[in-house]
Amino acid sequence: MAEIRFRIDGKEIVAKQGETIRSAAMRANIEIPALCGNGIVSRTTSCFVCVVKDVKTGRFLPSCSACPSEGQMIESDTDEVREMRRTALGLLLSEHTGDCEAPCTLACPAHARVEEYVRLGRQGKFEEALKVIKEKIPLPMSIGRVCPRFCEKDCRKNVTGEAVSINDFKRLAADLYYEKYMEEIPADTGKKVAVVGGGPAGLSAAYYLRLKGHSVTVFEQNPEAGGFLRYGIPEFRLPKAVLKRELEHFVKMGILFRCGMKLGRDFTLDSLKKEFDGVIVAVGCWKPSSMRIEGEDLALQGIHFLKGIAEKNWQNLDNPGKTIVVGGGNTAMDCARTALRCGGKVTIVYRRTEKEMPAEKAELAEAREEGVEFEFLTAPLRLREENRKKFLLCQRMTLGAPDASGRRSPVPVEGSDFEIEADTVIAAIGQKTSAPEGVVPDKRGNVAVSKDLSCGEMIFAAGDCVSGPATVVEGVAAGHKAADALAAALEGRKTEEPFFFNVSRGHWRSLAKEDLVFLRGDQVSDAPRVKPDFISLEERKSSFTELFPTIPAEKMMKEGERCIECSCTAKGDCKLKKYAEAYKTAPDMFQGAKSPCTVDNRHPLIIHDRKKCIRCGICVKTCAEVINKHILSAMKRGFATVVRTAFDEGLPSYCADCGECVKECPTGALDWKNKK
Amino acid sequence: MAEIRRIKIGAASCGLAAGAGEVLSAFRKKNLSFPVVETGCIGHCYAEPIVEAELSDGSSVFYGQVKGDERSVEAILSLSEEGRFTVPEERRKLEKLLVTRLAGRIDPKDLEEYRANGGFSSLAKAFEMGPEQVIETMKKSGLRGRGGAGFPTGMKWSFLAAKKSAEKIMICNADEGDPGAFMDRSMMESVPFQVLEGMLIGAFATGATRLFIYCRAEYPLAIKHLKIAIKKIYEAGLNLLPGRNAPLEIVIKEGAGAFVCGEETAMIASLEGQRGQPRFRPPFPTDSGWNSFPTSINNVETFANVPVILADVDSFASLGTPGNTGTKIFALAGDLKYPGLAEVPMGVTLADIVYTIGGAERGSVKAVQTGGPSGGCIPAEAFDVKVDYDSLKALGAIVGSGGMIVIGKERCMVETARYFLNFTHRESCGKCTFCRVGTTRMYETMEKIVAGKGVPEDIDFLEDLGQKIRKGSLCALGQTAPNPVLSTLRYFRSEYEAHVKQKTCLAKVCSALCEVRTDEKKCIKCNLCRKNCPAGAISPEIKVDNSKCIRCNACIELCPKKAISRVAKTPVN
Repeated sequence: MAEIRFRIDGKEIVAKQGETIRSAAMRANIEIPALCGNGIVSRTTSCFVCVVKDVKTGRFLPSCSACPSEGQMIESDTDEVREMRRTALGLLLSEHTGDCEAPCTLACPAHARVEEYVRLGRQGKFEEALKVIKEKIPLPMSIGRVCPRFCEKDCRKNVTGEAVSINDFKRLAADLYYEKYMEEIPADTGKKVAVVGGGPAGLSAAYYLRLKGHSVTVFEQNPEAGGFLRYGIPEFRLPKAVLKRELEHFVKMGILFRCGMKLGRDFTLDSLKKEFDGVIVAVGCWKPSSMRIEGEDLALQGIHFLKGIAEKNWQNLDNPGKTIVVGGGNTAMDCARTALRCGGKVTIVYRRTEKEMPAEKAELAEAREEGVEFEFLTAPLRLREENRKKFLLCQRMTLGAPDASGRRSPVPVEGSDFEIEADTVIAAIGQKTSAPEGVVPDKRGNVAVSKDLSCGEMIFAAGDCVSGPATVVEGVAAGHKAADALAAALEGRKTEEPFFFNVSRGHWRSLAKEDLVFLRGDQVSDAPRVKPDFISLEERKSSFTELFPTIPAEKMMKEGERCIECSCTAKGDCKLKKYAEAYKTAPDMFQGAKSPCTVDNRHPLIIHDRKKCIRCGICVKTCAEVINKHILSAMKRGFATVVRTAFDEGLPSYCADCGECVKECPTGALDWKNKK
Repeated sequence: MAEIRRIKIGAASCGLAAGAGEVLSAFRKKNLSFPVVETGCIGHCYAEPIVEAELSDGSSVFYGQVKGDERSVEAILSLSEEGRFTVPEERRKLEKLLVTRLAGRIDPKDLEEYRANGGFSSLAKAFEMGPEQVIETMKKSGLRGRGGAGFPTGMKWSFLAAKKSAEKIMICNADEGDPGAFMDRSMMESVPFQVLEGMLIGAFATGATRLFIYCRAEYPLAIKHLKIAIKKIYEAGLNLLPGRNAPLEIVIKEGAGAFVCGEETAMIASLEGQRGQPRFRPPFPTDSGWNSFPTSINNVETFANVPVILADVDSFASLGTPGNTGTKIFALAGDLKYPGLAEVPMGVTLADIVYTIGGAERGSVKAVQTGGPSGGCIPAEAFDVKVDYDSLKALGAIVGSGGMIVIGKERCMVETARYFLNFTHRESCGKCTFCRVGTTRMYETMEKIVAGKGVPEDIDFLEDLGQKIRKGSLCALGQTAPNPVLSTLRYFRSEYEAHVKQKTCLAKVCSALCEVRTDEKKCIKCNLCRKNCPAGAISPEIKVDNSKCIRCNACIELCPKKAISRVAKTPVN
């Protein structure tokens, strides 16, 4: 048979008679993307993602259909060709709707695969769930108790009721299997790394560096590791016995801890660099912010108050008496509830209203239940002491225009000054970083890091000391990133921020129940959210006993039934996503109306989500040409074109025995409902 | 004095729409001693219903805009001077009625009358010449396909003739889909035998074994006439070609109205019973077409040209310009005085067609959209262009199938482009990404602009995406769909800029970018406008509240003093 000689990007290619440009290119290891051609069904030539340019004619050809001609010069990797492919992908994405990833997973700062571990939990496979959790969250016991639950705030279940109680899966899985599950640690790389700071970010960095086989030493200034988990968060939220269990695992993994070692006092970054191949700085954020009022020194600093009590292990504590806590964040809540448990009568003074309070709503409610009182729209002006009593001069505020953060700024009400008498005043209005010696601070005093998270030669920084005060899970996420950056540097690799790609149906607030796709249909439970069994209010007020015991497995398995499972069935093998990432095509490259199609959820095993369909025609042709059935066909014209069954009667049940179209669908438009 | 020998009433779609049916029955009621027959269209659609009184001396008297009442009928029967219709001299000089010679002059259903006027003599001549000679003649004529692409017909036929295949297919493309184009309809309604004769000659020359006519179902009269003509051809045995064992069958397939089915590969798919959508070429239909058999697809007008060419190829080839021989039928519509059909030699100027034939007033025309919705617009300044395939292409437009829509000065070009794009984006078959989604995104942007929500970046967006759609579409529909936008951007960019930058529509067409105002000097406070305003936007002082006004124009149309008008919004800088 005659051969055809032509060139792609200058390289000579020999094609067989009748062979397409793409097929010849693929044999020569030149990758050309294609969505509508799978090499099985007859060519459709619809997606135009496979375009190449014929240099002589200047025409763009769909390489999946065009056959080469003798002496033809083809360009397949020029900017112009890539831009045409990118445009084709952008256009396809502009009509395509769905959720690549579940909103919970995206909301989690650590991007833990939430939907997957909740599913495993629903199935009672808590050990496997823990394994999934620990891919991203090395402190599941702590985070399972103290996380503000970013995931639940974005949970699609909010459309119809309360969010799935996601964090309790983490807590239960960890409580059940934490000691049993042991990560596989590769052979030693011979590289030694130091982590300065044993808080969430440092622990996380240590964990992921150790998982790569590096030998890790954590330097901790306090007598025990844990950082804020140990010395900030009070016992009733995170029992220290639990934290101890969690940290023992780090030791089991071979991570060395050197406690009581303070940067700048006992060692310097320079001295570490002599001993170690790389350093992570994760010293946290321990400098209290000032109230900037006269007599400030008469107040206790919130974090010092909490640390002092933690150092006493929540035993033999003094009664703080009548206590004022100034501030509206989580630390203020912790201070107030701790003071209350010490026997104090506590009032929180906050300059805006309850609505603007940065503290978690649940914590606020719990504090109120326990008897903490609140003075909203109240700002401190001056603190004085008289006869061992403290007097806080306050001023009433009103809300003015929104500030840069979008919150309405408090504005003083003239002549509204009044004094509150107290035995103890605790200031809990925030913390700052004091950047350690040897690193450059940024404007706000945090450790300045470059794009690759480094702040010096083989020194990387993470956590609160970079970001300012944040949550444990954010610290863990930051520690993981810094660990990856250091690991790459140790291997001499350059790290590049991966192109983040996700298609979303939108935030749950913009959606109605009809917009949701219930893969498990009626099996998705409508029951109310599981409620923890709090210990009695009396016990809560008078002891540091944990607020509630871990919710048992049988209840959590039922809770798992409530999960909608929002993510795409094809998230592992979606060609549209794959090429969109390869060509850095954002889902919103083109704005406009989405596909007017609907989702056919009637078949028990197969989902036909036509909102995801890219009209490649492969399913129609597979059914007709390969299976010799003609169940699917394209209907309507133009933008409204839709793949449907005759009279829209839905896929017949026997499609479950075939599934060829499901196999060949390049996106998640036709897929098995059952997620693995 | 000559007497009336026959009354002919133009009863093609254009005539019927104008009331030819009533005229016809008014004449029939008379029980006249001479025949009253329905004919087709002579091209002067603006003058319909047209009645031709054929006289005993062989001459004819035409009457235009005839009413179906007793008085009008009597006037014609007495050959009154009043109401006579003549073709203006300057138009007569420009036109060359070659292909449409018999259109509207003979009874379309009468085979004998067609024959008496030279019909089927070309078929007989073809039989004498032999297939090769016919194809040579076609090549010599220089005829280029009249459907739009302009591919030489003789060449296409020679490809089919050279194929050795058990079956060879010839399809007549009668899926005339461009809004504003009606040449093919008129030919099928007026001279179906001429079209069929062309097909039979084609079949003889190429060895085609099956003949299809793919005609849109919206042409019921054309289909009716074709069916009658086919039956009569069968009865006369004209479909038994020399050397064939069996007579040829001519099958009419009625299309369901998809614009894209005029594209040859989509048409083939539709004829095969598949969804009408194009496929990649090559293979070209002459290599692999209907059910994989070699197939030639030619347009109605192309086939209608064939008997004319065979009758006298030299005079055909001498018409027009080199590379663009013969005549072309144009369908004139839009803002002109004489909408209808005009057959002119290739190479006359656009000004000749628009002003002389179409009767549009010089200075009143902004542009002409040629080649249907996916063609392009040509500004009045460029009207001295010669109308042929190559010259129009150079201006960013196309001859296409021959539709010409005249756009008056009072029109907004942005809105006009939006209108055409609305058609093409809805008629996309929905297969290719660039056409299906790309034209939709362009259309959404055009809607945004005419709604006054455009931003300057939209112009770049339209140009960029439009070029990409041209490059990245499989068939001519997608490749040409951005043309109305791109060509108006080329010639009328300032109008787009006024919309997106100055936020005004100087043509006062785009409702969101203009206002309705009253002229106090002219207003007589008759309150007619206020009483009829559906939005309650007019105050007792006869002031228009433009925030309430829905721009329905009711007040403007009702005002006896023309005191209310649309004004362009004050330009924003």
